[in-house]
Amino acid sequence: MKATLTLARRELASLFFSPIGYVVLALFALGSSMVFYIGFAPGNHATMRITYSGVVWLLVFLAPAVSMRLVSEELSRGTIERLMTSPVNDLQIILGKWLAAMFFFAVLLSPLVVQIIVLELAADPDLGPVFTGLVGLLLVGCLYLAIGTFASAATENQIIAFLLTVFIICGLTFLLYFLPTAEFIPPGVRSAMYYANVNRQFEDFNKGLIDLRNFVYFGSMTALFLFLAVKLLESRRWR
Amino acid sequence: MIQASHLTKWYGPTLAVDDLSLELEPGKIVGFLGPNGAGKSTTIRMLTGYLPPTSGRATLDGHDVLTHAADARRKLGYLPESNPLYPEMRVEEYLHFAGKLHGMARPLRRSRIDHVADRCGLSHLRRRTIGRLSKGNKQRVGLAAALLHDPPMLVLDEPTSGLDPNQIGQVRQLIRDLAGDHTVLLSSHILPEVQRVADRVVIVAQGRIVADGTVEELRERSHAEDDRAPVHVEVRGTPDSVKQALASLDHVDTVEAAEEPGQYGWCNAWVVPHGRKDLRVQIAEALAERNLLVREIRREAGSLEEYFVRVTDSSRNVSNQAATTSGGVA
Repeated sequence: MKATLTLARRELASLFFSPIGYVVLALFALGSSMVFYIGFAPGNHATMRITYSGVVWLLVFLAPAVSMRLVSEELSRGTIERLMTSPVNDLQIILGKWLAAMFFFAVLLSPLVVQIIVLELAADPDLGPVFTGLVGLLLVGCLYLAIGTFASAATENQIIAFLLTVFIICGLTFLLYFLPTAEFIPPGVRSAMYYANVNRQFEDFNKGLIDLRNFVYFGSMTALFLFLAVKLLESRRWR
Repeated sequence: MIQASHLTKWYGPTLAVDDLSLELEPGKIVGFLGPNGAGKSTTIRMLTGYLPPTSGRATLDGHDVLTHAADARRKLGYLPESNPLYPEMRVEEYLHFAGKLHGMARPLRRSRIDHVADRCGLSHLRRRTIGRLSKGNKQRVGLAAALLHDPPMLVLDEPTSGLDPNQIGQVRQLIRDLAGDHTVLLSSHILPEVQRVADRVVIVAQGRIVADGTVEELRERSHAEDDRAPVHVEVRGTPDSVKQALASLDHVDTVEAAEEPGQYGWCNAWVVPHGRKDLRVQIAEALAERNLLVREIRREAGSLEEYFVRVTDSSRNVSNQAATTSGGVA
């Protein structure tokens, strides 16, 4: 545990050191504020729902930009050789990386807090869905960054890691959003696809629902990709 | 302490390390020598557990590097050949990070960082960003990180690459000071570097050990294989008189003599003996009898360098032959 936190702290310092970190922070602040601004008008409902729905699409590109360097940079610099000969194991390396990315992600979401305060000052929003929506966004972040960690463990090229992450996320969002509407899909498969769609899982939180099923979905998917990332890192030794 | 048994590594169809066995006694410094591409780094990576061998086993202090990795790694200080570092970190920050990975508590870390920074000549660079350091200073940071947790076993892959002669001297001294309570495996492709530090030298070529022994033993072997080491003599006299004096001695095959350029009256002579024979005493006596003034008598035995070239080269020929025969059979 201690080693994991040590690794996470070093990674976090690197994330804040890199220019890409600030670009992502700025893009998110700009994008989320624009979505918020569009919905922020007299006569509209005083909720964060539209903002959150927009933001979740933004994350399809911004989360991979955070995660792309996590392991791939260690691979390309060769620093992985020092880590893998230190008394830390592959699971600790992956968890440390992912935790650092999650902390960065929490900072990334901070403009939303500002928007919530603005909304609170201007109107009287129902804070329940505002809170559950934030929880939902954090869970989406858990999953996307786990996918990103996995992809960055697959290659030492950060651009490939970025594209691979976007590709997998698009599969879980766009593909599972539109494909089930096709007629040739059997009903059983269709409902499974609906369940596996990230946006539908997130919408439950956005509505203000707290359902164990949603937690199980995000928890198990995140664990799956982190597990795959550990296996991928292990496999580098055998290639 | 550090033990490799029958390590073999194939990279696809290429055989990088071929059934290599090696054992290091505790407290000794062993130089691991070989031309570039001989399989030194691959062997080292297998010994440190970074690369798994195709077959064979590596243990550190009895712990298998793959199955008991945590125990083995705790006792190991490793400087990889490429010396990878995080360029955005400061020297001190990085050393703290390395210490924390080894589970060192803060007070211990502080005192050890003071110690290794001092020993590696980093005291004035502690607040500097690693990315802006020169190659030599980066190398010292890497070395400091390897020494930080005071490991009983050290594996240093080309520790002096990129250093200037002064720094090489410092690092050499540092490594020599480690002997006794540290077991050190030191790889290099530069012979004199290893020769001056190591208790024992292991020479590899084409993934196999071609020579193994103390520096003296290897030098001895190089003499033994070099039968007809000529004796070089500098004498005051004409070439003819010197030839006359030496040609009549027993066991002398040929004598050549020539006037030394630029030094009037002095003459260089080379005496080649019959078989393995040290003629220096006979030559001195013969010249003294004739009242010829001598200023140097030196036996030009093969140097360790020549020996190194010979063993690494001949093994290349052998393995080439092996490769062609096995290819023919296949």
